[in-house]
Amino acid sequence: MKLLIGQILPYITVTLFTLGILYRLGRWAGARIVHNITLSPWLQTSGQVALRVGSEAFLFRNLFRFDKALWAGALLMHFALLNILVGHIVGFSFLGKQFALIPGLGITPELSKKMSDLLGSVFGIVLFVALLYLLYRRFAKDTVKFVTKPSDNLWLIYLLVLVGMGDIMRLVPDFHIEYVLVRDYIAALILFQPVVHMELLNSVFFLAHLLLVQILLIVFPFSKLMHFFGMFAERYIVNRVYHDTAPGLPNIEVATARKAGLGVPAGDAAGEGGVSCAGV
Amino acid sequence: MPEYKGMVQPTRASVAEMRKIYIEPVPDELKPEKAIEFLDQIRKKFRSFVLAMESCTKCGQCAENCHTYLGTRDPNNIPANRAELIRKIYKRYFTPEGRWFGKLVGAEDITLDVIEQWYSYFYQCSQCRRCAHVCPFGIDTCEVTFIGRQILHWLGITPKLHATTGAAMEKAGNHTALPKPGIVDTLKFMAEEVMDEFGVEVEFPVDKPGSDILYIPSSADFLLNPYTLMGAGMFFTYIGANWTIPSAVTEAGNFGFLFDQFWTQRGNVMRLLNAAQELGVKKIVWGECGHGWRAAKMYIPTLADRPVRWPLTHIHDEIANLICNNELKLDPSKNSKPVTLHDPCNYVRACGLNDNMRVIMNACVTDFREMSPHGADNFCCGGGSAILFDDPEMYRRRILFSKKKAEQVRATGVGRDGDGILCAPCSICKAQLYPMVEEHELGVEVKGLIDLVGKALVWK
Ligand code: HEM
Ligand code: SF4
Ligand code: SF4
Ligand code: SF4
Repeated sequence: MKLLIGQILPYITVTLFTLGILYRLGRWAGARIVHNITLSPWLQTSGQVALRVGSEAFLFRNLFRFDKALWAGALLMHFALLNILVGHIVGFSFLGKQFALIPGLGITPELSKKMSDLLGSVFGIVLFVALLYLLYRRFAKDTVKFVTKPSDNLWLIYLLVLVGMGDIMRLVPDFHIEYVLVRDYIAALILFQPVVHMELLNSVFFLAHLLLVQILLIVFPFSKLMHFFGMFAERYIVNRVYHDTAPGLPNIEVATARKAGLGVPAGDAAGEGGVSCAGV
Repeated sequence: MPEYKGMVQPTRASVAEMRKIYIEPVPDELKPEKAIEFLDQIRKKFRSFVLAMESCTKCGQCAENCHTYLGTRDPNNIPANRAELIRKIYKRYFTPEGRWFGKLVGAEDITLDVIEQWYSYFYQCSQCRRCAHVCPFGIDTCEVTFIGRQILHWLGITPKLHATTGAAMEKAGNHTALPKPGIVDTLKFMAEEVMDEFGVEVEFPVDKPGSDILYIPSSADFLLNPYTLMGAGMFFTYIGANWTIPSAVTEAGNFGFLFDQFWTQRGNVMRLLNAAQELGVKKIVWGECGHGWRAAKMYIPTLADRPVRWPLTHIHDEIANLICNNELKLDPSKNSKPVTLHDPCNYVRACGLNDNMRVIMNACVTDFREMSPHGADNFCCGGGSAILFDDPEMYRRRILFSKKKAEQVRATGVGRDGDGILCAPCSICKAQLYPMVEEHELGVEVKGLIDLVGKALVWK
């Protein structure tokens, strides 16, 4: 078991994840953007495009504009998730002492470790609760229930279990795992060294957590989680710079036309004045 | 056939009508397998479609933002579910997850019933793109129904309304099958009307060689919305334009866009370019038609089979530009009734006409009241993409589709005294709203925007 999940599967996971993503992105790239389906009002500069896509990706602008409850739930979930992913990488690499490395703040390594623990705990709980809310929503709200497929609920339950395992390791002292053990384990994997003997792999929670993560990564390219890439690919189609064709009609002189009294049967002279460009 | 297993459907074109637009209907027993074949061809071409198929998270936000769902509460009218009707097939045949996990991810085998579902629900979508506008990823269900309708068309399933309109366009150059003598007569009559009502001398030149401006009116303006065309004629006269209407294309709409983008839509584009070439014009100006303007402005560049030499603008762009340059004398008090503006979806979400319509509105009327929401957030009238079917079943649906619009209009209060104006500057919006304002008893009269310009122009 330890050999399979801890030693062999990680390499298979990384390979399948990478190939899977490439396969999906390749499929998307193979189809073309045939017509211009940019959404108006037009964005005028690449800066505006970056701002729009950025605010959709990081602030969930549309959810905010059209469904505040979903916005709150989804943003909390994704923000906690982002922090946890980054936390995993940074926390394990620096053993929780990352904040002490920021110059000028005077944070001691001990304090940094405490902060790291605290942040991990908080985001771990937030993520769990936000996922629960999203699952609740799938059953409580008719419109969402109507569009839900079994896999949508399964994903949320799956993540709840995965995150739950992590939270248990973090919050229950008996099952706690020291950062350094994980760092050494990952380092050994990267260096293609044997890991089966490691004490870390005796933790059932760790093994289960690790297994769930790996299955998630293997299935990722064939699931709705691809919306991470899909979002940018879709926005690349519908949010682009567009400039209108300049108005202005050929050979038009309105003043002359009015002086000549065009359209006026009796040939009266034209009046004066005009209406200003109001309101915009 | 207004219903199939409980689903409403528009009346279909007959085999003879399909043959007129060069389609040989596929026999029923072959339809499922052919549908997969067509879907396979087309999915490899359109990334917008592939992404709609592959990156929806089923968050459900689009539901309450689609007027068809709000009006009918039919779950298949939720944009994500409308797309799911084809996604379940796409998954089953073209994705590993669908092949391996089937029902779990919502994959399903193709059957004739599924194809009938497509026909029902893709023709209940008005392709208004509000779903794309609100989706956190920008997933555009309109792209899905474009492709769904295209496949249906290749299978030989097209509404009679769309198929016969496509055929009329090829034959007469407009959707109403009005021949050139009819056009010339109508325009003469219109000139007389302008004289009687506004005391203005207007000529509507047809096929005038050496013209500078090619004006493309909606053919509905000849019969149903005469004030729109009269307004355009007065505007061009007022500014002293050297303009003409081409008898070859007296149609701003392009139904090909709505059911057959490969042949019918492209054919109409070439027809326009030929006309522009023959008359030697310098610029093409488009009349009031929502889908038609989108089909022209956004699709001609990628559908044309030759370099397009003519800049293309909408008449609203030109009028707004002249207003901003202080070149038009307009008297808003000539339009003193309360007015609200229905933003045609294609204008505000696909063509960027939002601000210009308001420039014109503010210069031409005294009591303009915005709807809520408006602009790019606006809801469709319920007739978009020409789902203007008159079969009793479909007509009843149209009333439901316009429910949201009716609420919006009512909330502005413009019709409280029964003399309000609902400005809806798109031929399909007008065709939908003429009966709908009666059905919902809104106390408003439906008008175009150029209608109001024509009335407000000060001539001396
Ligand atoms: C920039 C990156 C991302 C953006 C903009 C984004 C955006 C969204 C949005 C708008 C939703 C719909 C709201 C909802 O249903 O809760 C959603 C759902 C979801 N996202 Fe993301 N996401 C991103 C990355 C990720 C990643 C990397 C994961 C990895 C696990 C993920 C997991 C999920 C899940 C599981 C759901 C479904 C929630 C539900 O069923 O209600 N997202 N995402
Ligand atoms: S809003 Fe977009 S992502 Fe959400 S269900 Fe609708 S199409 Fe899918
Ligand atoms: S395009 Fe409009 S009618 Fe069609 S699904 Fe989207 S919101 Fe609904
Ligand atoms: S008919 Fe009018 S409101 Fe409705 S889709 Fe066209 S432009 Fe939209």
